[in-house]
Amino acid sequence: MLVLVLILLPLIAGALLFLLPRDDVAMSKSVGAVAAAAVLVLAVAERGESWAWRWFSHPFIAEIHFGATYLSHWLVVLLALCTLCAVLASNVPRTRNMIAALLLLEGTMAGLFLARDLLVFALFWDAMLLPVFFVLIGWAEHPATAWRYFTYNFAGGLTLLLAVAAFGALYGSTDVIGNPAYHAIASAWAPWMLAGFAFAFLVKTPVWPFHTWMPQTYEETPAPMVAVVSAVQSKAGLYGFIAIAFALFPSYFRQEAPILIVLAVISMLYGALVALVQADAKRVVAYSSLSHLGLIVLAIASQNPLALSGALVYIVAHGLFSAALFLVLGYVEEREETRSLARLGGLGWANPRLTGVFCITALAALGLPGLAGFVGELIILIGVYQAGLVWAAILALVAVVLASAYMLRLLQGATNGAEVPDLPVRRDLTLLEGLAVAPLLAALLYFGVYPHALLVLMR
Amino acid sequence: MSANVTNADWAAVLSIAVLGATGLAVLVADLLARTFVRRYIAIAIAMIGIIAAGAIVFAQYGTHYSAFGGAFVVDYASVLFQGIVLLGALGSVILYGAIGEERRIAGALALMLWSACGAMLMSGAGNLMTIFLGLELLSLALYALCGIAERAGAHEAALKYLILSSTATGFLLYGMGLLFGATGSVALSALSNPALATNPIFWTGVGLFFVGIAFKLSLVPFHTWAPDVYEGAPLPVTAFMSVATKAGVLAVLVRVFLWSLPSQHVSDMLLPMWIVAGISMIVGNVGMLAQRDLKRMLAYSGIAQIGYILAALAGGSAEGFNAALYYFAAYSFMNLGAFAVAAMLSGDREEGSVIANYSGLGYRRPWAALAMTVFLLAMAGLPPTAGFLGKVFILRSSVETGYVWLAALLIVGTAISLYAYGRIVRAMYDRSTHPVPAAKPFVPLAALSAAICAIAVIALTFYPFSR
Repeated sequence: MLVLVLILLPLIAGALLFLLPRDDVAMSKSVGAVAAAAVLVLAVAERGESWAWRWFSHPFIAEIHFGATYLSHWLVVLLALCTLCAVLASNVPRTRNMIAALLLLEGTMAGLFLARDLLVFALFWDAMLLPVFFVLIGWAEHPATAWRYFTYNFAGGLTLLLAVAAFGALYGSTDVIGNPAYHAIASAWAPWMLAGFAFAFLVKTPVWPFHTWMPQTYEETPAPMVAVVSAVQSKAGLYGFIAIAFALFPSYFRQEAPILIVLAVISMLYGALVALVQADAKRVVAYSSLSHLGLIVLAIASQNPLALSGALVYIVAHGLFSAALFLVLGYVEEREETRSLARLGGLGWANPRLTGVFCITALAALGLPGLAGFVGELIILIGVYQAGLVWAAILALVAVVLASAYMLRLLQGATNGAEVPDLPVRRDLTLLEGLAVAPLLAALLYFGVYPHALLVLMR
Repeated sequence: MSANVTNADWAAVLSIAVLGATGLAVLVADLLARTFVRRYIAIAIAMIGIIAAGAIVFAQYGTHYSAFGGAFVVDYASVLFQGIVLLGALGSVILYGAIGEERRIAGALALMLWSACGAMLMSGAGNLMTIFLGLELLSLALYALCGIAERAGAHEAALKYLILSSTATGFLLYGMGLLFGATGSVALSALSNPALATNPIFWTGVGLFFVGIAFKLSLVPFHTWAPDVYEGAPLPVTAFMSVATKAGVLAVLVRVFLWSLPSQHVSDMLLPMWIVAGISMIVGNVGMLAQRDLKRMLAYSGIAQIGYILAALAGGSAEGFNAALYYFAAYSFMNLGAFAVAAMLSGDREEGSVIANYSGLGYRRPWAALAMTVFLLAMAGLPPTAGFLGKVFILRSSVETGYVWLAALLIVGTAISLYAYGRIVRAMYDRSTHPVPAAKPFVPLAALSAAICAIAVIALTFYPFSR
């Protein structure tokens, strides 16, 4: 029952939020924060129980079946934490609608991660696009952004749907995610099904060359929403690779892994190099995400147990620091009214506390030892090397080193240097704004010095 | 056969008789009623008649009976198709009652009920004569209905529909003549004789028959009348055409092409039908992109969605038939719902089908916009709506029966359609443009049917009747 509450609570809270007065920001924020905090407590307390209800048995068996695996447990905790922080940090026009969208996104993504049935997974896969689509309609600078996001991801959702339908036709049941009774399909159609799933996951993650929707979407989505999208929604593709592509089609996945490795390495290097020359602060982080997620895809494709453990750590770490980065960039944009690196500068003089938070976050993103990102990168690189992919490991290392370059460029460009005279001067980080990123930074530090907390159950 | 007509035979068509009698009752009551109540009396009588007919139809669920020597069949398919016809009639009657001109209401409702009689007759047709009888009853009433309003486009639409539909009927009748010539019988069961498979007259008849059906279902390349007629006809009539007419014709298509033709060679011979379905999906969805009128857009949408339904039928499996029925039921609810929302936005002078007027609707009429969003998402096949599950069932059936290319076309068509449906959703929640059209009175009946359709579209996702 608890898993069901995890999904329904944010969905219902999000819908009810629309009934609150439109302009009462404090009330919608507190209601949203209470709901998000409740979900976080439930997500931590959740202990792997499951809930199932027979959906239909013709023409194939589908169960509305929810339950957490180890990986999905951590993803839901990450989701709940990021949503809570994003709700607290929300400071945009029409705040109530934004918070409602955040809660609806939380509910649909919790449903995705907790789904044990492929059809339920496909349902939430499409459903989680809707809150982001509506936010892009309402807040993005160009309407084309909403279309680009939706079209790409819906195309992925359609191939996923076709693959699920084919799976139902061939296997007779879609209740297979994490199901020990599942026996791998051996059919001429299996590689095609795998391709259908993989396309959706590659677009969603995203992996080069399917990433073209991502920079503009991340740039134009308001900070609270993009924090959750980049931190957690991008993990849906990675989760799909692990829980569906690899688990359901192990032999074909192994066969096609080299393609994935090549794409992952290109993503890492391409993302890092492009991030180096971006003029927009949010785009730097967007391309850095492409690079970082490439590393996780590489870890999954290597199928080395050590690399997979590292992938788990890095999934959580990337979620924490990319959420924090986007929230901090949101704070910066609110104060300076620009995201252009050419205009920004000297933030540190007027906003020392904000600069401090920015600094910790950027250091976590570039993989400073002592913070969680470093642990993940290190374990993945060792694992990839162990798997015999020496060249991939070396190229990945190059991308990891490049991360310092673009992250420091971003940090220094915005905070150091002389104060720019024509930029507005606003008050420093407020208590609420600080509280919104503090849990993320604390978790980064905690998992950085004690990654065992994440890994202990992995064995 | 007249010698052997039993009470059970009459019971099989009782629902149709009730519906026809209701039409008469509406007209008589209208003569007696005082001016200000005649609208409500007409709606009430029509609704009671439809619900009574529905109760009779669903009492037949699970039975199998061949009435009047095989001329009319009661089975699983007839019950479900008749159910959908009645649903479409109910929805359209409510909409006509809500926004129709008062002095024409009784006539329009009576014509609608009789037209629905024709579609119900087609749903259970067991021989060629019943098909023709049903089709003519359906069409004649519709010609009058299309032109019933005194609007500029209405008479044009009625004339267009009359001419093109008669042409289609001509094809159909010629096909029937050839089939009769080849088999020597009007019974559909006579078509399954394996010896016919080599008879060119027979296959010519089948081909002409199919052209007639394709016209009526507005499949590409016989679809060009649909957008014009849909646009010109009064909104409730368009709603009726998009659901009830298609139900009747689809039932004939299933009975003749899937269940009656000789089983060997049939998959090769029907290949043109599936190709037409595939082309319809693409043309219908592309055609939607440029439309400025909701009714025209839904005409193209209907072209594509009938293509999806045929994709489910390709291969002729029982599961495919169930998938088609499920999708068709979902399609009926989303179409009726979309028309109901348009009716909510209708004024005295213009119908609420101009897409430009939907800009900013989410801020002016949030509930109407929410309902419209549900219907548009359902048409695009997004969760949590029945359109999503229906597409899964169709895809599954096409994959299983080997028509993977139809599944692939469905995916491509759906991807294209996303833009057309999403365009309206985006406009409704666009905060930059706010043309404020004249305030429209609240139409409770239309709002009620929109709400019911929205709930049904979502509830069908979690309770697919195939479980």
